Amino acid sequence: METRSQIRARAFVKIWTAFVILAIYLPIICGALAGLSKGRYFGFPIRVFSTEWWGKTFASLEIQSLVQNSLLIAFIVTLVSVVFAFFGALAFARYDWRGRKLFQKAILLPVFFPQPVLGLALLLWFNALGINPSWQTAVVAHLVWIVPVVTLVIAIQVYSFDPTLEEAARDLGASRWFILREVTLPILWPGIWSGALFAFLLSWGNFPLSLYTAGVDSTIPKWLYSKMVAGYSPMVPALGTMSTLSAAAVLLVGGLAIALVRRRQADA
Amino acid sequence: MAAVTYTATAGERSLLPAIPAGLRAAAPVTLLLVLGFLAPLLTVAAYAFATPKSFDVFRSFTLANFSAVFDPSNTVWMSFAWSLAYAAATVALLAVIAYPIAYGLNRMFGKWSGLVGVLFVFPLFVSENVRLYGWVLFFIKNGVLDGGLKWLGFSGGPEVLYTPGAILFGMLYVYLPFMLFPMSLGIAMIPRDLVDAARDLGASRLMIWREIELPLAMPGILIGMLLTFVLGAGAIAESKILGGQSVITIAQDIEVAFTYAQNWPLGSALALLLVAIVSGLALYVLSKLDLDRILGKR
Amino acid sequence: MSLATISPTLPDTATKTDDAVLPATAPVLQLVGVRKIFGDFAAVDGINVDIKEGEFVTIVGPSGSGKTTLLRMLAGMESPSEGYITLRGELINDVPPDKRPTCLVFQSLALFPHKTVGENIEFPLKVRRMAAAERKARALELMRMVRLPEHYYAKNVMRCSGGEKQRVALARAFAYDPDVLFFDEPLSALDYKLKKVLEKELKDLHRESGKTFVYITHSLEEAMVMSDRVGVMSRGRLVQIGTPEEIYTKPATRFVAEFFGEVNSFEVRRDGQGGWILGDGQSITVAPTDEVIGDTATVIVRPETMRFVTGPSTAGNLITGRIYNEYSLGSRMQYQVHSGDRIYLVEAARAAVPGLSSGDSVTIGWDARDAIVVGG
Repeated sequence: METRSQIRARAFVKIWTAFVILAIYLPIICGALAGLSKGRYFGFPIRVFSTEWWGKTFASLEIQSLVQNSLLIAFIVTLVSVVFAFFGALAFARYDWRGRKLFQKAILLPVFFPQPVLGLALLLWFNALGINPSWQTAVVAHLVWIVPVVTLVIAIQVYSFDPTLEEAARDLGASRWFILREVTLPILWPGIWSGALFAFLLSWGNFPLSLYTAGVDSTIPKWLYSKMVAGYSPMVPALGTMSTLSAAAVLLVGGLAIALVRRRQADA
Repeated sequence: MAAVTYTATAGERSLLPAIPAGLRAAAPVTLLLVLGFLAPLLTVAAYAFATPKSFDVFRSFTLANFSAVFDPSNTVWMSFAWSLAYAAATVALLAVIAYPIAYGLNRMFGKWSGLVGVLFVFPLFVSENVRLYGWVLFFIKNGVLDGGLKWLGFSGGPEVLYTPGAILFGMLYVYLPFMLFPMSLGIAMIPRDLVDAARDLGASRLMIWREIELPLAMPGILIGMLLTFVLGAGAIAESKILGGQSVITIAQDIEVAFTYAQNWPLGSALALLLVAIVSGLALYVLSKLDLDRILGKR
Repeated sequence: MSLATISPTLPDTATKTDDAVLPATAPVLQLVGVRKIFGDFAAVDGINVDIKEGEFVTIVGPSGSGKTTLLRMLAGMESPSEGYITLRGELINDVPPDKRPTCLVFQSLALFPHKTVGENIEFPLKVRRMAAAERKARALELMRMVRLPEHYYAKNVMRCSGGEKQRVALARAFAYDPDVLFFDEPLSALDYKLKKVLEKELKDLHRESGKTFVYITHSLEEAMVMSDRVGVMSRGRLVQIGTPEEIYTKPATRFVAEFFGEVNSFEVRRDGQGGWILGDGQSITVAPTDEVIGDTATVIVRPETMRFVTGPSTAGNLITGRIYNEYSLGSRMQYQVHSGDRIYLVEAARAAVPGLSSGDSVTIGWDARDAIVVGG
């Protein structure tokens, strides 16, 4: 039943949410505008629109290598973190074992940790081991932060998993590997896909860890930062916008794929 | 739902003696955390006690780095104060900003809440420097705000860029999702029946909120507050991009010590102090919470 | 209706010691043509009922019959799409739950998990800003009433057993001191034995408090034990309402009869001479009925009114068949008897039927007065 004050509260929440969403996307729109202006220096209102800087960004060999680095890191991070996190999530949410509560809390610590400090600590550690920082060390750094996040994402799906299903399969004579393939994995697929999506996108957009642990190799966010500090050209917002749009496309395609998997599960 | 342990069959038992399935499943992640998280922190701890401006780790022991931090003639403590104050302000303001949205996501947006949620998640996948730089373009002289106002015939926008306030604004902007989503999970933990029952027993809106909703959503809210505090205390990009060095945060001091100054022991001591504050807080709050309940175990 | 009109104590139970001497009072709760429509689906489709002061009325129905929606409208959590709900003559269609002197005991009980037993019970008193000491005294009084030990006052409510939680929920509802209490199957999650105990306690509490109870459940058995009147709901409509006796002996429809338990039901048509015949032409004698019934109907015969016949019999209806299987019901036995393509259920006391077993040929009979004709 709706009273007048409830209607007012509802209106307030909706307007406030819309306002905050607008604020969230405003700078992204500003960046897109800056990347499309013809002038070397940004000024508003934009006098002449042009795709010149987009073209230059596409053509740049330097940027191609950045994209390759970012993609390579993101793919490896996704692959490794999903495998690690799948088992991690089972340990987190499925099995009852001594040390589970400790594990649950330990796994949160890297998430509850300032990333710049984590990056610097890793830099120190790699140095102590005599490893030269490069894109490979950046992969390790990303994993330390992303595996716990993906573990949590998959764990949420694992919580909704009824363990008696595995017991029933076992009772019907299935081997552990068979159960994993036929029962556990199919039910957890949506969670695993969501985890993979998170892993890819978080790695793709990560700045503080890459900044300190990638050494001489650069990623898109790292390069953008160096140009923001010194050497602005409209290629900076153009590349930033491209990176954002790619992330949006990945999210859209991945989200649709997950929705499809869920629907097929519901229909079957 | 009760978690169920596997009882290994006879064949497996001989191969894998007495290692519980949970421990085996936890092994890869645990190994990663030991090598990629614990070991670096121990290295930092070791460097913190080495001779200043040297690389004599494990071969020297001194507290000189810490006394340098607390030396009043040094301004490092100012960075600490700024960072913690920023973090505290971020937590307080974000709690107020995010609560109505988290409430709406659970109780008001209905079928739209999925889409609204995605709109708030997406910025997490865009690196913060890109988003913060968008604000630079918005606030800068002749930027979107200033230029737009002039175009409309006003005298131009206020000069907010490169001020301490801009840093706080940037932190609110970047860390909003980290407050919003745990808070939303917390609010999702309030059974609808309890709110209906309280109302049925005559409670006013305010009383329901104070007596029922807030206490029951508290675990989620606390996690959000903890997360934003920790991230805020270690913030660096906001002050570099929006703050223009008007305030030096502690993470920046650590960075300088590790890079330009090549004073790893001092940087380590600073990092260790920050970690001590942050992890002390994190462990304290986490020890109060039951993660099974928050993440959906019934 | 303002909360101020509600006295903070239980009404004097002495005013209602014997139902028989109560004058016919105006209904405390009156429903006229109440409908609730979700989209193009009528969850509640035209309910008319008067509930008298101090009555214990139970609404039974299968899941999806609309009984929960009806209750939520009575409690104020939904408003009716059509019709009127009045409480003591005042229209309360759109009065929110916190403004009506009624209280709902939820199926989930909706106890506040972060509060103690005492704090739960005191919640409505705190709402009314009663002083702490007074609140505690009242809570302890209510705990005595629902038979909770005093030391439970400071106990975490989530540490209580299922039965104890029921009592806390009841005490909390009574603390609100409502005119009418609503119950949404609060006993459904309990084991059978505890349920039986609490059913009787609830009925005792009803008698002692003199309050009006409206209870919904899908268990007719539960309804029979406790209620003054039982209403049977199906597809959003109230099919029949009456005393448990009436519902049992004079079911208005086949649905009501079958909802009550296992029955033998036969589809019949008129034989043209005032009697009824089965599909295969066999005539069947039935109890006289006042109801206006069309050319086809259903005859209901309860298994416990059927009997095995050995010698000559006064039974109005006789069928021969073969026992297919037998089921023990404790003190009674039930037999499945096949005759042609028809299946009959016969129930008898264990001692009354010596030596019958599967495969035996038997004759079963029942009296005309036990064969109830219902429409539909």
